[in-house]
Amino acid sequence: MERVTSAVLQVGKAGAQQAAGTSRWIVTDRPANERELVLAAQRGRREAFSELVRMHERRAYAVARAIVANHEDAEDAVQDAFLHAYRALERFLPDQAFGAWLHRIVANAALDITRRRKVRDTDELPETVASPFRDPAEGDELRSRLTAALNTLSERQRAVIVLHDVEGFKHSEIGKILNIPEGTARSDLHYARTHLRGVLGDIRSEL
Amino acid sequence: MSDEHRGPELVRDDALTAALRAIYQKPTGEAYWAGLERRINDRIDEAETWWTVPDGWTKVGLAAAAAVLLVAGGLYARAQARLDRTLAYEAIVEVEGLESALAQREPLSQEQATLRKLTGHQ
Repeated sequence: MERVTSAVLQVGKAGAQQAAGTSRWIVTDRPANERELVLAAQRGRREAFSELVRMHERRAYAVARAIVANHEDAEDAVQDAFLHAYRALERFLPDQAFGAWLHRIVANAALDITRRRKVRDTDELPETVASPFRDPAEGDELRSRLTAALNTLSERQRAVIVLHDVEGFKHSEIGKILNIPEGTARSDLHYARTHLRGVLGDIRSEL
Repeated sequence: MSDEHRGPELVRDDALTAALRAIYQKPTGEAYWAGLERRINDRIDEAETWWTVPDGWTKVGLAAAAAVLLVAGGLYARAQARLDRTLAYEAIVEVEGLESALAQREPLSQEQATLRKLTGHQ
């Protein structure tokens, strides 16, 4: 995969090196380049970190969205997480998977937002607790009832089923992201699927 | 997935998965992701500006902190010396006061006076 990024990065087989006499960097091979980008970012190259942001923002958003209640909170969590990651970058070992490290930070940021939101909602807006997944764009019955059913799951069960069934993470990856044993992720998935399948069956028989 | 072959409850339900995907659909369009990337970078830039202190200011800050420490140290030493003097004075006043009170209460016998003279207590 080759493309020239807007941040004018060039990363080739030799690593994240800036072309002699130019400010152009080219991304040619993402998996091999990630380590080089991390090293470059650790050396203080902001454009290398920008490229890491570009590479990981979608997946980071997906992790955050699986945990928080809405799109806006997911965006906030992603921004917080990248800022945390940037500040902690010098402590990251480049031989580890940057994505896995980042996802853990994203999950923590998302959980932090969820906790703050709970406190705020309890203090100020008690009526929003009953339906934090309310979405004005939600039109159909199936979707709104499934949304309500999701809200009856625990945060962790909801995050597990979304990360597994929607985003395709493995149990072991989910365990690392949410800091829970793999077996717990597995049993949460089992419970969430059984529960939601039951709700979905009821909706189908009614509709 | 291999972990799906464990029984009917652990098999993915396509209808459920499709419904979940509709709810958790990610924003589409490159413009959205470019915008998010820009906001993330702006946030980092802002934080960096706030945290980063220019070199010149670092030296000024260190010098100011050293001066404050010196002044605070001097003030502390002066206050401590004053406190020591006050305590010493109060100790003398208390002993003298006690002795004069004892002297007024009853005259010393000849033996007591001799004993005090020998032990150095006037």
